[in-house]
Amino acid sequence: MAETSIRSRKGPVTYLLRIFVITYLAVLVIWPLWEVGQQTFFPPDRGAGGGFGAFVERLSDPSVSYAFNLTATVAFWSVVINTVFGVGISLLIVRYRFPGRRILSVLVDLPMSVSPVVVGLALVLAYSTGQGWFGSALASVGFYIIGTTPGLIMATAFVSLPLVIREVVPVLEEIGTDAELAASSLGATGWQTFRRITLPSIKWAVVYGVVLSMARSLGEFGAVKIVSPGAEFRGETATLLIQNRYTNYQEPTAYAAAFVLVLASVLALVVVSLIRKEDHV
Amino acid sequence: MNILIAGVNKSYGDFVALDNINVSLPTGQLTALLGPSGGGKSTLLRIIAGLESADSGSVEIEGIDATKLPPQKRNVGFVFQHYAVFKHMTVAKNVAFGLEIRKRPKAEVKTKVAELLELVHLSQFAHRLPSQLSGGQRQRLALARALAVEPNVLLLDEPFGALDAKVRKELRDWLRRLHDEVHVTTVFVTHDQEEALEVADEIVVINEGRIEQVGTPDQLYDEPANDFVMGFLGEVTRLGPFRLRPHDIELSTTPGAPGVLSGVIERSLRVGFEVRLAVDVEGQGEPALVVLSRTHARALDLEVGTRVWLRPTAGATSVPVLEVASA
Repeated sequence: MAETSIRSRKGPVTYLLRIFVITYLAVLVIWPLWEVGQQTFFPPDRGAGGGFGAFVERLSDPSVSYAFNLTATVAFWSVVINTVFGVGISLLIVRYRFPGRRILSVLVDLPMSVSPVVVGLALVLAYSTGQGWFGSALASVGFYIIGTTPGLIMATAFVSLPLVIREVVPVLEEIGTDAELAASSLGATGWQTFRRITLPSIKWAVVYGVVLSMARSLGEFGAVKIVSPGAEFRGETATLLIQNRYTNYQEPTAYAAAFVLVLASVLALVVVSLIRKEDHV
Repeated sequence: MNILIAGVNKSYGDFVALDNINVSLPTGQLTALLGPSGGGKSTLLRIIAGLESADSGSVEIEGIDATKLPPQKRNVGFVFQHYAVFKHMTVAKNVAFGLEIRKRPKAEVKTKVAELLELVHLSQFAHRLPSQLSGGQRQRLALARALAVEPNVLLLDEPFGALDAKVRKELRDWLRRLHDEVHVTTVFVTHDQEEALEVADEIVVINEGRIEQVGTPDQLYDEPANDFVMGFLGEVTRLGPFRLRPHDIELSTTPGAPGVLSGVIERSLRVGFEVRLAVDVEGQGEPALVVLSRTHARALDLEVGTRVWLRPTAGATSVPVLEVASA
């Protein structure tokens, strides 16, 4: 990105804007998150233990470990799936011209605009054993989608699908086809061209997209809520656990789990900002 | 043994890029595809390389029918106008790419890369990234990379088009010398007639998807097949019933031999060493353009309003004015 001119003049408007932005962020983001941290380490009442020890103890509860394990598994697989398909679909959209290409590129953005709850409902409609279109057929070969981990992965992958594509498509458009054509005229096959020329050029965009979809997958709630049975040790992901515990008067556990998710997001943001820096060298 | 193009057609929707092209490009020579932008010359080059496919017709390279071959099987080197260097690889890695794809032994690759970098004068930049090179250096890198795979044919698409005038001229001379050294059959696309005339052994003039003329630079310049070729290869003016080059008009300040046309100098413009005169010739709509050397013009004491007499120099190339072309 080109260096844009930055106003260095510090008038009253500048300060006003700053105060406005900082207040806005504080009210909306910083203060609530700070409260989560507070509740995690210094629970106010009901004789709950405070401090780091208690935090670790709550997290080491088997049902909590199960939830985080499940979330990690689901996030991992949906990121893997979205990376492979995301790069594939991006190449298809940018490098090939075929009827329906524009429709595809609009469809790809659909998960961004559709509410995750609707996504969950749609999956249930399509795959549940009772009423689903494919559900009964799949069930007859012993494969169940709704209420199982594959279902959770599907829901999460659906929701985070556009993130990789949105990062990769503009970079593919920008690098153009000359280098790829040059590689093929030098004797490289399609796969060699992709591996040695295209992939290194879109590397950072892919990593960026992966980090974003990882963050999105860890925090997915709506779609997962519909698809999962949502009980302890049965499809309860970290976000579901937070909700369940919160409504069951086990707030300290809910806050501890929430704090871990916040930590993961902050980590993702740090990685992303490091990549951005790398990208601009 | 050459490149044989037979009956090649190519359209993009309604636009006809190539219209029944038949041409044979000789082995070991430097051929220029010359023509105005959008005339189809780049399309023809890309069809030879296999980067685009013809709607109909065939392409034969060194006796092998290449019409259906993908680019990686044609053994052609292709150099793009905007270099198309591999940005994430060092200069040496760029040149080695084709050899590594062909799984040549490491030692051989190394020797060959060193040799080629020497040839294109980039040895000291072997470990740099392309972003640290100038435009001219990048284009030489692209050439070395294309030559590394020892192609049967080297194809260059407006290779110097993105470079500034001085570098372009240097690279042009350098390409000519390089070709004399390595003798690979080379085809390059250009819209710059000076570049084609200076570098090429043979020129194919392409306009609006058709071949206008094929010949050596001398043939094209001295015996243009038609008005278009004449006009595209250099400046043209009209004198009486003929179209000819402005420097092929003899000017005198006294009426002399028969067949001389008289006129009055309308405008005079000095550009460097030459003087360009617009002469209003009697009985002719458009003024005739005459180019003289500065010294000559000064000796004749010419200025606006001077009456002069014009005639074509003996042996001048001229074509008769067609009624349609005289507008």
